[in-house]
Amino acid sequence: MSDKSGLTLFLDGEEVPFTRGESIFQVSERHEKEIPTLCYDDRLDAFGGCRLCVVELEGARNPVASCTTKAEAGMRVTTRSGKLEMHRRVLLELVVSENREVDVDELSGYASQEMATLVDRYEARTGRFEGRQSGASRPDDPNPFILRDYDNCISCYRCVRVCAEQEGDYAISIMGRGFDTQITTEFGGILKESACTFCGQCIQTCPTGALGDIKALRHKEIELPIEKTRSICIYCGVGCSVDIMTKGDKIVGILPAMDGPANEGALCVKGQFAFDFVHHPDRLKTPFVRDDQGELVPATWDDALDKAAAGLMAAVNEHGRHSLYAIASGRAPNEAGFMMQKLVRAGLGTSYIDNCSRA
Amino acid sequence: MSNPLRDMEKPDVIFCIGTNMTECHPVAATRLKKAIRNGAKMIVADPRHIGLSDMADINLQLRVGSDAALLLGMAHVIQREGLVDAGFIADRTAEAEAFLEHVKEFTPEWASEICGVDPALIEEAALLYGRAERGAIYYTLGITEHICGVDNVQSLCNLALMTGNIGREGTGINPMRGQNNIQGAGDVGAIPNNYPGFQPVTDPANQAKFAKAWGREVDLELGITKVRALEQAGDQIRAMLIDGENTLVTDPDRKHCEHALKSLDFLVVCDLFLTETAALADVVFPASGFGETDGTQTNTERRVQRLRKAVPPAGESKPDWWIVSQLAQRMGFKGFEYDSAKEVFNELCSLSGTYAGLNWDRIEFGEYQWPVPEDGHPGTPRLHEDSFINGRGIFKMIRYRDPAETIDDDYPVWLTTGRRLESYHSRTQTGRSSGIDYLLPEELLEVHPDDVSAWGIRDGGWVNMSSRRGSVRIRVKATKRSPRGTVFCSFSFNDVPVNVLTGSGYDPVTETAELKVCTVKIEVETETGGVAAD
Amino acid sequence: MTRTNEELISQAKGQEAPLLPLLHQFHERDGYLSEEALRAISAGLRIPLADLFGTVTFYHHFAREPGGQAAARVCTGPVCKMHGADALLTSMPGATGMPCSGRCDEPIPVLRGNQTWVGLAADALERRDTPVPPAAPAGTTECVFAHIRDENRKSLSGYRRSGGYAALEKAVTSMTADELIAVVDASGLAGRGGAGFPTGRKLRAVQEAGGGPKTVVCNADEGEPGCFKDRALMDHDPHAVLEGMALACVATGAPRAFLYLRYEYPETDTLLARAISQAEEAGILGDDVFGSGRTIRIHLRRGAGAYICGEETSLLNSLEGKHPFPRNRPPYPVTHGYEDTPTAVNNVETLASLPPIVLHGADWYRSLGMGEHAGTKVISLSGDIARPGNYEVPLGLPLATLIDDWAGGPRNGNKIQAVTMAGLSGGFLAGDDMDVTLDEPSIRAKGSFLGAGGIMVFDETRDMVAVAHQAMEFFAHESCGKCFPCRIGTQRLTERLAGDAGPGELSSWLDEMADLNATMKATSACGLGMAAPLITESLVRYFPEEVRAHVSGS
Ligand SMILES: Cc1cc2nc3c(=O)[nH]c(=O)nc-3n(C[C@H](O)[C@H](O)[C@H](O)COP(=O)(O)O)c2cc1C
Ligand code: SF4
Ligand code: SF4
Ligand code: SF4
Ligand code: FES
Repeated sequence: MSDKSGLTLFLDGEEVPFTRGESIFQVSERHEKEIPTLCYDDRLDAFGGCRLCVVELEGARNPVASCTTKAEAGMRVTTRSGKLEMHRRVLLELVVSENREVDVDELSGYASQEMATLVDRYEARTGRFEGRQSGASRPDDPNPFILRDYDNCISCYRCVRVCAEQEGDYAISIMGRGFDTQITTEFGGILKESACTFCGQCIQTCPTGALGDIKALRHKEIELPIEKTRSICIYCGVGCSVDIMTKGDKIVGILPAMDGPANEGALCVKGQFAFDFVHHPDRLKTPFVRDDQGELVPATWDDALDKAAAGLMAAVNEHGRHSLYAIASGRAPNEAGFMMQKLVRAGLGTSYIDNCSRA
Repeated sequence: MSNPLRDMEKPDVIFCIGTNMTECHPVAATRLKKAIRNGAKMIVADPRHIGLSDMADINLQLRVGSDAALLLGMAHVIQREGLVDAGFIADRTAEAEAFLEHVKEFTPEWASEICGVDPALIEEAALLYGRAERGAIYYTLGITEHICGVDNVQSLCNLALMTGNIGREGTGINPMRGQNNIQGAGDVGAIPNNYPGFQPVTDPANQAKFAKAWGREVDLELGITKVRALEQAGDQIRAMLIDGENTLVTDPDRKHCEHALKSLDFLVVCDLFLTETAALADVVFPASGFGETDGTQTNTERRVQRLRKAVPPAGESKPDWWIVSQLAQRMGFKGFEYDSAKEVFNELCSLSGTYAGLNWDRIEFGEYQWPVPEDGHPGTPRLHEDSFINGRGIFKMIRYRDPAETIDDDYPVWLTTGRRLESYHSRTQTGRSSGIDYLLPEELLEVHPDDVSAWGIRDGGWVNMSSRRGSVRIRVKATKRSPRGTVFCSFSFNDVPVNVLTGSGYDPVTETAELKVCTVKIEVETETGGVAAD
Repeated sequence: MTRTNEELISQAKGQEAPLLPLLHQFHERDGYLSEEALRAISAGLRIPLADLFGTVTFYHHFAREPGGQAAARVCTGPVCKMHGADALLTSMPGATGMPCSGRCDEPIPVLRGNQTWVGLAADALERRDTPVPPAAPAGTTECVFAHIRDENRKSLSGYRRSGGYAALEKAVTSMTADELIAVVDASGLAGRGGAGFPTGRKLRAVQEAGGGPKTVVCNADEGEPGCFKDRALMDHDPHAVLEGMALACVATGAPRAFLYLRYEYPETDTLLARAISQAEEAGILGDDVFGSGRTIRIHLRRGAGAYICGEETSLLNSLEGKHPFPRNRPPYPVTHGYEDTPTAVNNVETLASLPPIVLHGADWYRSLGMGEHAGTKVISLSGDIARPGNYEVPLGLPLATLIDDWAGGPRNGNKIQAVTMAGLSGGFLAGDDMDVTLDEPSIRAKGSFLGAGGIMVFDETRDMVAVAHQAMEFFAHESCGKCFPCRIGTQRLTERLAGDAGPGELSSWLDEMADLNATMKATSACGLGMAAPLITESLVRYFPEEVRAHVSGS
């Protein structure tokens, strides 16, 4: 980040520039300080709940949360010290103590490994601070998309905040207070009866897998690594970037691309969950041609292409080049449309082509 | 869209008309919600009380098909109150004087008579938009799918031009394109009037350019639209090649459409599934789809992005471009030897001014929005910043016209159609994705509760809904989202083929179908013993 | 006549900070907050329903079952427990407990709807006025209590008779804001709500901050267990509080002020409402204060049962109808307070000190303290003490003098084992460490603080581990749930003090305790989480034997 203002602060003794409005955390990120966080999602307003990001600030009595503290000129900040690391470890031991489990399948969601990764980094599986667990799971919610396993919730409220700030749906909120806070819909009901649009944003930001992608988790048992391929959602015209998760030859789930230029991490229910038509048994797997009985029957590509070419050319030959009409798709890629129009133009010299934009 | 999606977080006044954005473009709507959270005000004009209406500051619940009247009334107020941007008008527009004179006739009271919105609300909306620092208009098919679709769009342009709300951050006239690549389909020339890159076929220079590229001269005459082609099926049109469209279900007037396709000598369809349309074909090709093929698509903000292959295609299915190029070769056409989508895309870029600065590798991260006229050009997130493509923005003298059908004693109810969040078009894909049924198990006809009692029907009961073209059986849902006298349903479910009813008329310029309005009558379903059917 | 949803909502919509009053109106009209009521409010005020629901569940006193509003609530604070609150609670079917409700000088308060009853047994409950502060020893000069025992002081006429509103009149007619702030600054007055921030500096920061309209908030949430001083001030000298608020308005240029009153003081609510309207009718408050053309509107807002809403930023969120988590600071309320306007949040006692300071001058106020300590502080003294009550002491007075000379010494002549400081927030002082003077430097030197001035006395008969457990239970009950160290930490400390969980081996037990205390103090997001571990820290420090017995027994 360039800066014309000449503002600097001292980060672990090194003088570094920053831009007005940046938080200490953001400056530290740029300098790869790897400050741990659990309640942070860079798309959301900094919340300051997990307190893992605390840093020492010269002149301040207590460590300050780097995510909510704006950088100021001349600050002297220490991002790592014995004390800070001890506090961070205690905080992680505490969240471990309130959950049923730490390890959840990676298919749970985009951020689902965040907590487990930090717990390992800080060697916080000590069993200390054991006591009552917080959060009540909702196995009674029959929705087929969003796992609500609040036994593993650490009350970071990223889900609530993403639903409000990113998605604008305000479907979920925080019930009660203190150790008994619980993520809830209005009146504690199921998601389908709330303002939830099943966009999946909450799943993807949950750092523990308390909220999980039920559809993806169906493939948990497949013992193959998850691979991700960047592509674009094929539903509406917004053009959201997605990462297609595959195991072997199977699409197992969709992740929103946090750096997708059109969506910046957002998706809707279709882009997030309506992907498995790809492997539906109804898919056409071979060409079909109409046989003598008038039935559509499977055919080889050779036969089908020949038959199609012959059928189309027969019309052209008999009724002229303006007798063939091509309808391209607003759903297919550019290359398909290009080829369709080239077929009538370069092939027949007509512009007898249209697409579905008129209906 | 004239402006990038990112700009949707920037207006101080948002005017949404004929767009059910929270359902049809949910991710774009999230940006509007952010603008609202930051203090933007919103005007929503829609016949129904849609999701956006819940967040609006002013709701203009107009009668279906009366948009032009409403917009004239608003223009009148903006003119009368002196809220026009004189500088912008002088520098950037033409025909302003005539237009400002023209709108004097159309008072809010006049508009109210037609569109049914309280004149005071029309005033309020006009003042809000007219005084905006950054006013942005968003619309979708609720504006275009009318016999006066072009007039409607033009009326919106008039508003933006008179207030100078274009060419700046957080402003603009922004059609939200419906399908994932409907923008691209036009960009690549799959339209009867333009070569790739919107180069008119009627221009001899373009004819020469493409003749050189492809070794064949293309007619200087325009092609015909799909609407005409379907009308002429069996007549002049004898064969069709349809790629990835379930024409039968998504086009208006299903009976007419079915008749048209059946009267062809030969029909070839490429699709992922054996759709209702594919079932009529002589040859069906299995296309590979999402996650199975490489390619590119262009979104509503003109951003060109890469689709990537993640898994092997189903069975023997092949990419559409491959199928069509093979077919062309077998039809004896030259120049169809391609090995990859990349080659196809690069040829497109080489022939299209708007994509000229792009190629396959350059769009790796999707950061370009066309026009990208040459190598090294950064792309154009915002159109019309300094000037309009065709020089000046021209005001058009619009007058209100009735829809092709208006309610009468035989068909006393307005039907308007649309989409729902959870399903997409004819559900060939969403309907085959698990779980979606949980959210949206069936299509329901949305009727105002007062109408439900007045018409003697029952919430949850079955009715027959008929238009001059056909009739469907559907279950009723009482909801205040529908205004009195207007009912709504989507065309997503094959067992409620709503497009049997639609198709009353077409816009004379674009030949876009009036899918948003038709008149119907609603009767208690008797055949199956009425409400007992479920 | 009962009013319809529509009437209530449309009336609320025109108001500042409309949510809390509207919720209370529904709560009282229906006897609880029904789903239907919340739906109507959500639609009317355009608050997302899930948010509104979540926010309502945050408050202890909003009932969501029919009849819940009127159901009895019995104070189960530490002092009331000493007086048998648990037994009283079990003897009253349908009653539920509530945290310390600010009546430790005359236990046990029971709230029934909008009435406070007091007594030690269910059949001996009576409605009684808040106790008047016991008379100060001869020779002491008081500031806020100087006239509190005057007859008829509650009424506007009674207040004016003894010089009331003269300071305000002087300020609006013959002083500039700068002059006013200068007097407060020079007086050395510091916040009496807990944090002790210099009041003059706060007022100046608000006055100088950009943007507006500016706002004054009187913090009358008084949720700290063992604190009941603000109640006495408001109940017996309401106009003094209003005048102090008005002076803060003049100093900062604020046209509006809110008084945020804790739920458990319903009679105070009525009394203040009447005082405000009387002052408005008399032209003392309202649109033309003393004919000066200045507007000062005081809005009374009632909380709904949440200790954290006494924390100033949580209070502001509560006023605004948001989820009452504390905000992140900076920015501070002085620049970004109520609806992001520059806001002075001050305690009742702090504000009530302003009129005498303005009338008698800075030097007069400074001289009320002992030695270098400026001014006075009201101490709420309760527990095992002969004469519990509110005492306005000169700062610097030895604790022993207060206990023995002013308040008659320990109850029943027993030996005092420990006292709490700052209500519960300062933890315990015991043994020689009780040898302090009542001022911040002296008490902070012992690792505690004076804070809002609540001191609970525990004699030798008390089980200090049990007392610590009650204290921690309170903090756990009141932890808002925003930040991890406090949300989980108060729970874990409570479990350990109860003997429900934790290592059975002393050194591990102490290790866990030390780590928790350190991390909570260093990393909690607000004062609650930072203060709670002072309880455990001081328990372990002063009562190691008791702790050992507790751990080995559990
Ligand atoms: C958990 C917590 C509870 C508090 N409760 C109160 C309270 O009930 N009354 C109060 O005046 N201040 C309370 N405070 C202190 C306020 O945040 C704030 O400092 C005070 O109102 C400022 O007024 P003063 O400067 O006049 O003391 C509390 C602080 C914390 C951290
Ligand atoms: S799925 Fe989307 S709308 Fe539903 S709760 Fe999660 S973030 Fe909110
Ligand atoms: S469900 Fe997940 S995201 Fe939501 S509060 Fe719990 S841990 Fe955080
Ligand atoms: S310290 Fe406790 S009360 Fe304060 S913000 Fe944290 S959780 Fe809330
Ligand atoms: S990231 Fe800063 S407190 Fe959680």
